[in-house]
Amino acid sequence: MNRIENRMAELKKLNKKAFITYTTAGFPDIKKTKEIILAQEEAGIDVIELGVPFSDPVADGPVIQNASVEAIKNGVTLEKIFDLMKELRDEGCEVPILFMMYYNTAYHYGLEAFVKKCAECGVDGLIIPDLPYEEQDEIMEQLENTPGAPVFIELVSPVSKQRISKIVKRSRGFVYCVSQMGVTGGDVKDFHKNLRDYLSEVKNTSSVPVMMGFGIKTAEDVKPFEDIIDGAIVGTHFIKLLEESNFSADAVKEYIKKFKAEL
Amino acid sequence: MRKENDNRYYGEFGGQFVSESLMNTLDELERAFEEAIKDPEFIEQYHYYLREYVGRETPLYYAKRLSEKYGPKIYLKREDLNHTGAHKINNVIGQILLAKRMGKTKVIAETGAGQHGVATATGAALFNMECTVYMGAEDIERQKLNVFRMEMLGAKVQPVTSGSSTLKDATNEAIRTWAERAEDTFYIIGSAVGPHPYPKMVKEFQRIISTESKRQILEKEGRLPDVVAACVGGGSNSIGMFADFIDEPSVRLVGVEAGGLGIETGKHASAMALGEVGVLHGMKTYLLQDKNGNIELAHSISAGLDYPGVGPEHAYLRDSGRAEYVSVTDDEAMNALLELCRTEGIIPAIESSHALAHVFKMAEEMDRDKIIVVCLSGRGDKDVNTVQRYLNGEETNK
Repeated sequence: MNRIENRMAELKKLNKKAFITYTTAGFPDIKKTKEIILAQEEAGIDVIELGVPFSDPVADGPVIQNASVEAIKNGVTLEKIFDLMKELRDEGCEVPILFMMYYNTAYHYGLEAFVKKCAECGVDGLIIPDLPYEEQDEIMEQLENTPGAPVFIELVSPVSKQRISKIVKRSRGFVYCVSQMGVTGGDVKDFHKNLRDYLSEVKNTSSVPVMMGFGIKTAEDVKPFEDIIDGAIVGTHFIKLLEESNFSADAVKEYIKKFKAEL
Repeated sequence: MRKENDNRYYGEFGGQFVSESLMNTLDELERAFEEAIKDPEFIEQYHYYLREYVGRETPLYYAKRLSEKYGPKIYLKREDLNHTGAHKINNVIGQILLAKRMGKTKVIAETGAGQHGVATATGAALFNMECTVYMGAEDIERQKLNVFRMEMLGAKVQPVTSGSSTLKDATNEAIRTWAERAEDTFYIIGSAVGPHPYPKMVKEFQRIISTESKRQILEKEGRLPDVVAACVGGGSNSIGMFADFIDEPSVRLVGVEAGGLGIETGKHASAMALGEVGVLHGMKTYLLQDKNGNIELAHSISAGLDYPGVGPEHAYLRDSGRAEYVSVTDDEAMNALLELCRTEGIIPAIESSHALAHVFKMAEEMDRDKIIVVCLSGRGDKDVNTVQRYLNGEETNK
């Protein structure tokens, strides 16, 4: 069974919420990324979102854009990220890890080869923000035909409306509810005005856990929605924390433990 | 191939590779656009502004001295005579009327050299819309005069410092802003690129170029041309120039990309030269990219052709063999520019000079009774500084 699905099932049994953090692979370098992943695992993170840097990250705000640019400058490529994944899995790291990436990176690699390689290297899930429901056929075909392939995590937005049910039906692992309009980053004050109703609608439709992301910094930020959601995702704020702490493993552990305890 | 029956696609090219939060926006846009172009009132309005404000129709000028020198009859479609100096305004008028019709109060646009930005700022002033133009910080530095023009017209020019600080990044930033504010904001894309329905929409609003040309050449020559040529960056003037000739199999369609310092140097803007397919700015098409799938910077002396992709319908016309795509270098384009200045007394844009350069090459192998129509997409006033620097031997290709 898939690591993400396993973890989500365990949490459900324990009646606990999931916590997911986002890190750009190779920011500042691959070695640090490995340390950060291991620190996250040790602190009890439920799933790690590993960003594959791309030259044109249209779904990201300035903080993650900058992290991507830096990683690319430092020579980080998809191949090197696969190597890191393989190394982690060979060394017994079992924390669920998914790739957050843009479609061109996978497409250029070749979808068949890409999906096979994900399966080989223990990539558990995929989030591709520029690949909406209507454009997913090609990658779905590969995912369905490859044993051990990652699960495809669907994104829904506050303006998805009538699209919610078909999208949610297809999602595996969990469904990613974007809390605001526009790109990653932002704040509680940027949460969409109909957020509560929209989250409820997704929750009522979904057979997989409902995670909320974008603009979240603390467990406090998602308190008003704790009766609906199954967990929270922190991206931009986590990248800032890494930068501000000079990529300190201790800062990572402290932040994750605190968030998990309060969630 | 299974995309054959999908109207969002041209063969395998096109599509809607955008975030989920824009899918309903695109759907709303498509419905509004399809309704509008079937509404006689909307079409009449569009033609009213093209006639009374833009100054259409533009002449199809028989370039007598050029023709005598090169052989076949060369006709220039004078888009350079439009208000604001290029074909860009045709599309802006169409999209801004659509924006009004949809009840939007703000428009945003991306711009590289500033031509589309100026056209959008002009349209926004005319229709009393709030206008923000996204422009790479590098480009702002290089095109100060156009930045000032946009500001004179009441637009806000928003510098973009992400990525390479050029057109592709300005486009990224416009997409990001649009995803956040689509409720009251209309994104006016300047070229035949982007997610469906933009390539189709831009083609329809630029189609006027070929509709007029076809009628004009039939009046003047009593027959269709043998060749229709246009320069291709994203491909808006060329798709407009091709549109009414696509179903005329006797007409050769030729698109001319920017070869920069030469394809072999890697410093060019010819997205189709290497045949690499990828996904950028909401569409699947031919792209300049490196071995890791990151988008590469385009290089051309012409800022308007300096784009790493090409419109999806062009990609399809290339693969289906209906149109042929070639490239000419900076040097060839500059020679053609000077040639037109001296032979016909017309200063063309560097972009359009790419098409001219290839036409001169082709003409050598064509008989005198053949007819070539070339789109003179813009005038060269904006380029005189670059021409001067080029002639002084300074660096003009970043």
